[in-house]
Amino acid sequence: MSGQYHRPHGWAWFLERPGYVRFMVREFTSFFVAGYLIVFLVTLGRLGGGEAAFAEWLGAVSGPGWMAAHVIALVAAAWHSITWFAAVPQAMPIYLGEKRLPAPLAAVVMGYGPWLTVTAVIVWWVLR
Amino acid sequence: MTMSAQQTMTIEVFRYHPETDDEPRFQAYEVPYDEDWVVLDALNWIKDHVDGSLTHRWSCRMGVCGSCGMMVNGDPKLTCAAFLKDYYPRPIKVEPLVNFPVERDLVVSLDGFMEKLEAVKPYIIRDDVNDTSGGEYLQSPAELAQYKQYSMCINCMLCYAACPVAGHEDEFLGPAALALGHRYNKDSRDQGQSERLDVMLVGEAIWGCTFVGECTVVCPKHVDPAGAIQQAKAVGAQEYFKRFVAPKGAGV
Amino acid sequence: MAHGTTHEHDVIIIGGGGAGLRASIAIAQENPDFSVACVSKVYPMRSHTVTAEGGAAAKIKPNDSLEDHIYDTISGADWLADQDAVEYFVNEAPTEMIQLEHWGCPWSREPDGSVAVRPFGGMKIERTWFAADKTGFHMLHSLFQTTLKYGNIVRYDEHFATRLLIDGNGRCRGCAAIELRTGTVRAILGKAVIICTGGAGRVFPFTTNGSIKTGDGMSMAYRAGVALKDMEFIQYHPTGLPGTGILITEASRGEGGILVNKDGYRYLQDYELGEALDVSDPRHPQKRAMELGPRDRLSQCFIKERWAGRTIETKDGHVVHLDLRHLGEAKIDKKIPFVRELSRNYAGIDPVYKPIPVRPVVHYVMGGIDVDSNSATSVPGLYAAGECACVSINGANRLGSNSLTELLVFGAQAGRHAARFAMDNPDYDVPDLEAQAEDEGARIRRAWFDTSRKDGERIVTLRTELHEAMEDGAGIYRNADSLQAACETIADLHERYRNVTLDDHTNSFNTELTAALELGSLLDVAEAMAHSAVERTESRGSHQRLDHTERNDDDFLAHSMAFHQNDGSPPRIEYKPVTITKWPPGARTYGAGSGLKKSEST
Repeated sequence: MSGQYHRPHGWAWFLERPGYVRFMVREFTSFFVAGYLIVFLVTLGRLGGGEAAFAEWLGAVSGPGWMAAHVIALVAAAWHSITWFAAVPQAMPIYLGEKRLPAPLAAVVMGYGPWLTVTAVIVWWVLR
Repeated sequence: MTMSAQQTMTIEVFRYHPETDDEPRFQAYEVPYDEDWVVLDALNWIKDHVDGSLTHRWSCRMGVCGSCGMMVNGDPKLTCAAFLKDYYPRPIKVEPLVNFPVERDLVVSLDGFMEKLEAVKPYIIRDDVNDTSGGEYLQSPAELAQYKQYSMCINCMLCYAACPVAGHEDEFLGPAALALGHRYNKDSRDQGQSERLDVMLVGEAIWGCTFVGECTVVCPKHVDPAGAIQQAKAVGAQEYFKRFVAPKGAGV
Repeated sequence: MAHGTTHEHDVIIIGGGGAGLRASIAIAQENPDFSVACVSKVYPMRSHTVTAEGGAAAKIKPNDSLEDHIYDTISGADWLADQDAVEYFVNEAPTEMIQLEHWGCPWSREPDGSVAVRPFGGMKIERTWFAADKTGFHMLHSLFQTTLKYGNIVRYDEHFATRLLIDGNGRCRGCAAIELRTGTVRAILGKAVIICTGGAGRVFPFTTNGSIKTGDGMSMAYRAGVALKDMEFIQYHPTGLPGTGILITEASRGEGGILVNKDGYRYLQDYELGEALDVSDPRHPQKRAMELGPRDRLSQCFIKERWAGRTIETKDGHVVHLDLRHLGEAKIDKKIPFVRELSRNYAGIDPVYKPIPVRPVVHYVMGGIDVDSNSATSVPGLYAAGECACVSINGANRLGSNSLTELLVFGAQAGRHAARFAMDNPDYDVPDLEAQAEDEGARIRRAWFDTSRKDGERIVTLRTELHEAMEDGAGIYRNADSLQAACETIADLHERYRNVTLDDHTNSFNTELTAALELGSLLDVAEAMAHSAVERTESRGSHQRLDHTERNDDDFLAHSMAFHQNDGSPPRIEYKPVTITKWPPGARTYGAGSGLKKSEST
């Protein structure tokens, strides 16, 4: 008797279902978020180094290659936020009596709403 | 069941016999096509009329006993709820659920799951649980709603077949077992959350979950195990903190 | 069949559904030193209890009374129920239901947190506890999960019991069971045995019952010399989906659904079931009336409508319409969401917008293994509970929502009595019982794994002929000729059964072998049903004879008892009187104001 059969696991398991691919994309966007955090820390460091150093840094990160990187990082960060907001209603259900707040509404209440509010406040503060 | 004998379709079935085979193979059968038929009807027709050795589990054929989960064209499905008309005229490939050892043909071993289910203590824990003299425990509809969704699990195992972590990490308790553990933690009648967390917070038991979320996608009963697990993780994180501040047995 | 192994416990329970699990817990809890074996041909959570939808009856509300529950049950049973057993059942029911509530069953609730109840057919007062419309599912899983708490319950999952083992003193001491994974025939021994294997709806072609409900336990007991009691009483549920036979719960009518014929007319009002109140009338749905009449009457009304040409013809046979549209989407989704899911998936209609096509469907066997009011059979040490048993509290027609409660009350009771028997009768001869199990393995091998036998018939051929014989001969309306024809076909099938050959002669998970063994069980059960029905020349409850249309209390206020004959001749049918205590047989009336009047009982 050869017994139970155990199916082998392929290394490319993440291509087996579209959901797995979406999962990998979501996880990879965090690299861009982390990368941009480094850029931000460097920026702060240069700011502490004086006006000239900061201006030089700003000039360096304004080139076409850097601009493309900013856009990619922005898209990745936005996508990361969207997937996060989609997950929030699942992880933090809100009940009104026996009724559970529907997921789209919960995403607005706990995700998009605060996000847009904070963004608006920052934009107002910067532009005032 | 009526059948129009003119139309047929092809069902390719995963075959494996533990007494004779080292490797599985696929066997194709022509079955009558009936738009009312589900994949399970086709398998039963094959077993009855063509090949009595074809082996699969089934019982209620109304999506509640949880026996007939299989991979249908690569997707975990209850075969009693997968209609031929949704695939016709293309062939259908039927395989046993992935991430489980195969006993024979379409039958997988549930040993691992049964151990994991038992591990999460899926029952009400409180001292007076066998004392009925005080009548029913009161539970408001709102309290019921807190856990009802997670009590709908039929243990069909589709979620384990959809979970890449369940396939790679033995220590991970898996979607159904964790959702049921969470179901009892959320039940207002229960007082056993701490005991359950002792099990759930060990190693990869719950932390193995990376929130791929496919368990929720394939769940035929809308249990949302992925949501349950994230909620349980949040409870677990709070518990870690509490135990850090006031360790168990410190008499707090 | 590989050579077997022996396993010893204190009590052996065959069947892991509601009754078997309740019995397991009762023993494990009250006898912590005992080892309880739960032997089931499927994992417990696959058991057919899982499909029960509408609810479970027990007096809990102040407007109800035990007396009313008793009277509804007895009159629903057309006075064939044993009244001492019904009283015990009704008295125990609330405690058992509260216990299950404590074990986590997610009962639907009132705003104040108490359990909610709904009306069911044949009830004077609403008393059906429910967990939306998946009551059986929640009860089964609550029970199963609770068994996981007890280390002294040892499960033998996917073990197919084929024979009871009887010691030299005539006591039942275990069973022989095939471990499906390996094909090994094991001797599972204990001091007492409880059969909880459920019903046998699969004797018929069109049934709500899952594939596992093949009467294996009934057949095992029958072959061990225990009578099968009241087997002629088979319940047709009035509302099954055409084609599949999937159940649409009576709760849909309890919540206010109505039945209409092809003219949109509520035909039940023509059959002494009361007045058709408008659905907007606050008194609708009226208890013990119209759509909330008992199941046997409603199924019989369907046939009469069909004879009158007022049903709707579809490719899956004649139907009537169950109209829920006036309930509205919110109520349907809250109270009977599974009805909506099943109708959409399997009938392609959404009951919020369209009526559901329904027809009567075989649902439940009132009869079963003859047990006394202690759940004991005539074989010492052998007990039975649940649908496979006949106490009888169900008589000629079971009241909807009594069966789930019955699992609890009599499962627990059988467990306690079996445990007591085990304590009082501890010693048995192991080698003798092992030899019986080994002999059973050899018998199965001889019967089914003989590769020299070729070109026999297929299982499906015989099963299909059995189905046709039972549907044609022993359906909702029967007569001497139709039943006699069924008896003859069954006898012929019993002969041909020996010539069935299998494609599969291997050991591991041989489900063709189990299907063959199940066919044997079905033939035994069908034989008892058809012969008991021939002999009962009256009409009572679900047993309606076109050649004997009246109830005959002088001759038939008695349980039929079918005894298996080892020489292959038809079963011997005897009768045992019904226990009547306080409720003398009366007219069975439904419609407004029917039911127990306080002065009626003595």
